[in-house]
Amino acid sequence: MSNTATLSTDNKQTWGGGKSPLSISYGKLMMWVFLLSDAFTFSSLLVAYGFVRFTFTTSLPNAIVKPFSHLSHTFTEEMQKAGMFVVERWPSPELVFNHFPFLHGIHLPLMFVSLMTFILIFSSVTMVLAVEAGHRMAKKEVEKYMLWTILGGAAFLGCQAWEWTNLITEGASLQNNPFGPTAFAALFFIVTGFHGTHVLSGVILNIIIYINVVNGTYEKRGHYEMIEKVGLYWHFVDLVWVFVFTFFYLI
Amino acid sequence: MDHIEHLEHTESPANMKKQIWNTFYVLLVLTVVDIALYFALLSSHSIYKNILFVFLGLVKAFYIVSVFMHMKFERKFLASIIILPMLFICFLIWLALTEAGYTFDSRLF
Repeated sequence: MSNTATLSTDNKQTWGGGKSPLSISYGKLMMWVFLLSDAFTFSSLLVAYGFVRFTFTTSLPNAIVKPFSHLSHTFTEEMQKAGMFVVERWPSPELVFNHFPFLHGIHLPLMFVSLMTFILIFSSVTMVLAVEAGHRMAKKEVEKYMLWTILGGAAFLGCQAWEWTNLITEGASLQNNPFGPTAFAALFFIVTGFHGTHVLSGVILNIIIYINVVNGTYEKRGHYEMIEKVGLYWHFVDLVWVFVFTFFYLI
Repeated sequence: MDHIEHLEHTESPANMKKQIWNTFYVLLVLTVVDIALYFALLSSHSIYKNILFVFLGLVKAFYIVSVFMHMKFERKFLASIIILPMLFICFLIWLALTEAGYTFDSRLF
């Protein structure tokens, strides 16, 4: 009779039961399924952006302002007069996203958003290093890398807040856009806002698991799999930023 | 008291740390290439320029998913469960951009 108890462990077939056919825990599989659904949400937002963008004429090539040149206070008005910022025409990103903190009055196209991209990539690296340290049960290292990840996420959110403030003071909102079509500003705020909300919730999750790591919750549990699950979410947020960056700033 | 869970998971390779840093450098270089190409091709409005940027984005996405998200080391079946449904997104892109072309043609300005 006792033979029956060993039935499940003896089963060599993948789908024979008694073990995970995908060699993955339930929680991690569900995180992947959630990320798939979130990928659909983000792609519908980006496809909506692509749709609206295709219904407008492309921007004029900029031959007026060179990088590092002086940026006057009436830059937006000058661009409107020069026909760069008109309602029928999608604006050129280099003329819209050209400010940098503490370097006021210099035309620095896309420099700030590049910095934001580097910050997010770097926080993704520290996250995966925390996962790697978790595999070795190195509590101190996990703590160190989690802290860097939280700092990176917070820095990214700070950068985004600065950029939003800058655009809002120039008059951009969901109903108004000094740079051209209203849909440009509306879509920018909706998509970067939705991504920013993801970063914010990621930072909150990171803080929660950081506290758990410090308290030794995962040490007691015997594995650091929670770091992997939240890590998957965090890398997904980085992944979405790659496409937000490509579509809003480069194309 | 000593309740320790044993999880089923796929193992990471021994040189994981090296792979992580290599991926970081790849992502860094690709982002710099992105920005350099943006300024080099500023006056071009070719559809191939857009395809090039989307392609570079997909390369970055491949590296993030395969190494950072550990997909390279997971079972192939799991990878197909997650990646194959993405084909629906390609269908949506095709639908939306075709429709957008007609909308553009019927603009009154």
